[in-house]
Amino acid sequence: MEFGPILRAMTRNKTGAILIALQIAFTMTIMINAIHIIEERNDAMARPSGLDEANLFYLTSTGFADDFNEQQQIEEDLRQIRALSGVVNAVQINAIPLSGGGWSMGLSTEPGADADGTGVAVYFVDEHGIDTFGVEQVAGENFDITDVGWRERTDTEWPDKTILTVAMATEMFPDDPMSAVGKTVYINDTEPMTVIGLIKTLQAPWNGWSGVERSMLVPQKMLFGSARYLIRTEPGARDTLMPQVEEMLAASNRGRIIRSMRSLEETRERSYRGDRSMTLMLKIVVGILTAVTALGIVGLASFAVNRRTRQIGTRRALGASKGDIMRYFLVENFMITTMGVVLGAIMTVIFNIMLVDSLSLPPLNVWYIPAAVLVMWAVGFLAVSGPARRASNVPPAVATRTA
Amino acid sequence: MLSMQQIAKVYRTDTVETHALRELTLTVDEGDFVAVTGPSGSGKTTFLNIAGLLETFSSGTYMLDGRDVSNLNDSARSKLRNEKIGFIFQSFNLIPDLNIFDNVDVPLRYRGFKSAERKARIEKYLDVVGLSGRMKHLPSQLSGGQQQRVAIARALAGEPRFLLADEPTGNLDSAMARSVMGLLKEINEEGTTIVMVTHDPTLANEAKTNIHLKDGVVSETASISQLGNGKQNAA
Amino acid sequence: MFSYYFRLALVSMRRNPILSALMIAAIGLGIGASMTTITVNYVMSSNPIPHKSDDLYYVQLDSWDPNNAANEPNEPPDQVTWTDAMALMRDAPALRQGAQAKSNLVLEPPGDDERPFMVLARSNFADFFPMFDLPFLYGSGWDRDADEARELVVVLSREINDRVFGGENSVGRTLRLGGQHFRVVGVIDEWSPMPKFYDVTNGPFDEPEEIFIPFNTMVDFQFSRSGNTNCWKAVDGNGFDAFLRSECVWIQFWAELPSQAERDEYMQFLNSYVEQQKALGRFPRPMNNRLSNVMQWMENQEVVDDDAQVMMWLSLMFLVVCLLNTVGLLLSKFLAKSHEIGLRRAVGASRGQLFTQHLVESATIGLAGGLLGLGLAWLGLRGIELLFGDMVDRMTNMDWVMVLAAIGLAIVSAIVAGLYPTWRACNVQPAAQLKSI
Ligand SMILES: Nc1ncnc2c1ncn2[C@@H]1O[C@H](COP(=O)(O)OP(=O)(O)OP(=O)(O)O)[C@@H](O)[C@H]1O
Ligand SMILES: [Mg+2]
Repeated sequence: MEFGPILRAMTRNKTGAILIALQIAFTMTIMINAIHIIEERNDAMARPSGLDEANLFYLTSTGFADDFNEQQQIEEDLRQIRALSGVVNAVQINAIPLSGGGWSMGLSTEPGADADGTGVAVYFVDEHGIDTFGVEQVAGENFDITDVGWRERTDTEWPDKTILTVAMATEMFPDDPMSAVGKTVYINDTEPMTVIGLIKTLQAPWNGWSGVERSMLVPQKMLFGSARYLIRTEPGARDTLMPQVEEMLAASNRGRIIRSMRSLEETRERSYRGDRSMTLMLKIVVGILTAVTALGIVGLASFAVNRRTRQIGTRRALGASKGDIMRYFLVENFMITTMGVVLGAIMTVIFNIMLVDSLSLPPLNVWYIPAAVLVMWAVGFLAVSGPARRASNVPPAVATRTA
Repeated sequence: MLSMQQIAKVYRTDTVETHALRELTLTVDEGDFVAVTGPSGSGKTTFLNIAGLLETFSSGTYMLDGRDVSNLNDSARSKLRNEKIGFIFQSFNLIPDLNIFDNVDVPLRYRGFKSAERKARIEKYLDVVGLSGRMKHLPSQLSGGQQQRVAIARALAGEPRFLLADEPTGNLDSAMARSVMGLLKEINEEGTTIVMVTHDPTLANEAKTNIHLKDGVVSETASISQLGNGKQNAA
Repeated sequence: MFSYYFRLALVSMRRNPILSALMIAAIGLGIGASMTTITVNYVMSSNPIPHKSDDLYYVQLDSWDPNNAANEPNEPPDQVTWTDAMALMRDAPALRQGAQAKSNLVLEPPGDDERPFMVLARSNFADFFPMFDLPFLYGSGWDRDADEARELVVVLSREINDRVFGGENSVGRTLRLGGQHFRVVGVIDEWSPMPKFYDVTNGPFDEPEEIFIPFNTMVDFQFSRSGNTNCWKAVDGNGFDAFLRSECVWIQFWAELPSQAERDEYMQFLNSYVEQQKALGRFPRPMNNRLSNVMQWMENQEVVDDDAQVMMWLSLMFLVVCLLNTVGLLLSKFLAKSHEIGLRRAVGASRGQLFTQHLVESATIGLAGGLLGLGLAWLGLRGIELLFGDMVDRMTNMDWVMVLAAIGLAIVSAIVAGLYPTWRACNVQPAAQLKSI
């Protein structure tokens, strides 16, 4: 094909070509980085919390009456809730996965203040915890009822048993995580705890934390002034049970407030709302941007065709077929797009490095670049094919008829 | 040989039908140099466009080199134009974005010649028209006469059998017109058949044959060599 | 002449309606997207207390772990311990200063039919109210004596006063909070600084608190705290006292220091205090105390959300694409008119006149695009509200500064986009255009 003359004709008319190439370059930069962010968010959102999310909800009970007996009330509440038909199990817990608020500690394999601790999310539960979560126990055993004690808000001592997630065990015992069962880990620098079991997955409450898979279960019920109950229902029973449980608890003791009731599905929705909205906005931006760029190419190519009507007629008179004319515009556009994508690839990488530096985004997958090049070629091709077809329909007689 | 039998051309717009050619019959022999004259609107350009396969016609038969071209499709017509016909336009129609070399190159590209062959031809015919020193110039950097000579080089570079020219000297002064006419005559001597539309009776008289069109039909044909008198005017 | 140019611009736009629409849409979309994201960033990074932001200083003391900085690379913790907060309250030389923390409390309205409910509470010292210029509807804040005397007094937000006392002047009335009887001393009017600068640790865009109580009272009754607590060292022993005396940080501390001299003096005090504590075996890290004014503190805490910044940069690039688009289309359009321009030049139009004519045309397109962009920005902000719900409350309000900025940006964009094509158009050589090629 006639690359040479097309290129030379283009350099006589640089500006239009440069403008399209720049548009393509920016579009590609935005597109790749946006898709990169979308992918990353989608991956984060796809991580399982480990919970039977569809059938869980939770609420908080806060006593205020002078004669409110917290310990007695918690035991009574749990007994009543567990007895309800449709309830699979229930547990008092300090924090909810995905909710954003919780408690973290450091665990180490050696005692002492200088040992490097591994951050871990702490969940205080009783022996019903694992069943209420719906998580799978992969090694060791569950807490026994006799393991479970009471914890005051300002207590600093820890019970001597714990259950870890596999991810936490892997972090502490990278060589053989399963061997963690029976080992001793240290909390608060020096307090020993024996790992009695491992559960498969249980996310920490903070979904943005790099150690989100690291959690530990501690066998204690809490006297913190407010008690939160996590309740697992039979499939389909959650929505009817939510108001029922709320009412039952409120009615059973007028000296307290029942509040913050929420299903785990809603918690997930809220937890990832920012991410989901971000991905949606990015998709809209990429969509509109591609459309704007494509329409821009259509507009500029149409002008080019109009401006060159006479020359197209002349070429036709000199023997160019319709296909030749069409090809001329397609090749010209292909060359411009190619300049654009080369520049775009460079800009993409630079912008991504900036994002990685300033916002600690992971670097992008290099395969996005060739994929985006193909997309931009396709967009350019589609955009220019209309004007190119119009150009090919310019009658050859234009050469003799236009003054 | 170019032969038309009862060619008619009707232009239809929303409201008007224009009969640009009515049952036009004529023959142009191999090696002839035909000058077509006639009043404005008589159908000269239309005839040339049809002869050069730029436009289709409404009825009649047209044989080009013994081949019926009435029903050829667009790309076959393009190919014929490219191989057999060279065009020279009144307003030159050089492509402003391309330099002289690339302008002459245009039909050769479509012909699919190898680059060495194209280069040789371009240089040869730019030399023929006396512009071999201007290959890197843009059309806008040349005078009208020079531009028309580039157009002639472009028409010749494909070494066509027929050269069709629509008022090739219409935009030139008389001295320039003479020199272009001289060039055309030389080309005709070499064997290329030429059909030229002109308003200039003096130039028409220098052709071998004159055809006069009026209202879309041939009103008179005069073969100047037969009459043996270059001064005879067909009008 | 201007109206003639304007009419020419309209005629010219009508000649290619689709193209003109495309240019206006491109500018509108670019401006709309940019203004949406700029507004969010603008609100996030706005100065919440402009008239005093250089007088208010956030206090940081590096009481952290000898082996690890509280925040890399060597940032002190973002809150202070109770021990240090009390020492500063007692001795530090500031015009005003105060420790504060966040709580949840059960509020029992007077009368038996009202149901108790939870409120967001801030516990703070008397200086909090004048220091941050809280507007009072009724009464006032408590005074320093009330802090000393550990009184049971409370300041209500307007909403709580409306809810509990039906909007009456409730000064002097009592209500039960966390099981104790508190006397109302003041009701504040609407007050929600954006960002919530005085406690960014617990969420720079959180709702403002509903009630305010004396810090010492909160400690006395061991009311449940709901804010962030961080400890680098295990609490030594059980019980609330042990917690208070621990190295856990959970208190925000602000001081009002209007002059450089006061700031120097305050810093000196901090340094000598830390020296003294080092002697007692605390503060194992090298001396690293900080005073940050409001905007420095917002910067330090990176209050502006990363996503909002990414979106802003992407949308600015988007605007660039839209402008390139417009430049291209205007250029083509003006060049297609070369012949006409040549003709106008031939009949005597000066280059300047043609320049103005075409600039008016560009600016007209820019203005139309800007108005469209303003509408789209408004829609975009409503869309963000829809998407994020209560998470972006108060973040999506365009003030007049933003509206003017949007229109300005649109016109500037369009003129910038129109400048080059206009310049090219006016440099048309009349002779070249009238000579037919
Ligand atoms: N595309 C067209 N549509 C309608 N009518 C046309 C068209 N082209 C030419 N005509 C009409 O056809 C007739 C012949 O036109 P043509 O261009 O062949 O004349 P001409 O002899 O070349 O005239 P001139 O010497 O002025 O160039 C004229 O009446 C003209 O108006
Ligand atoms: Mg004619």
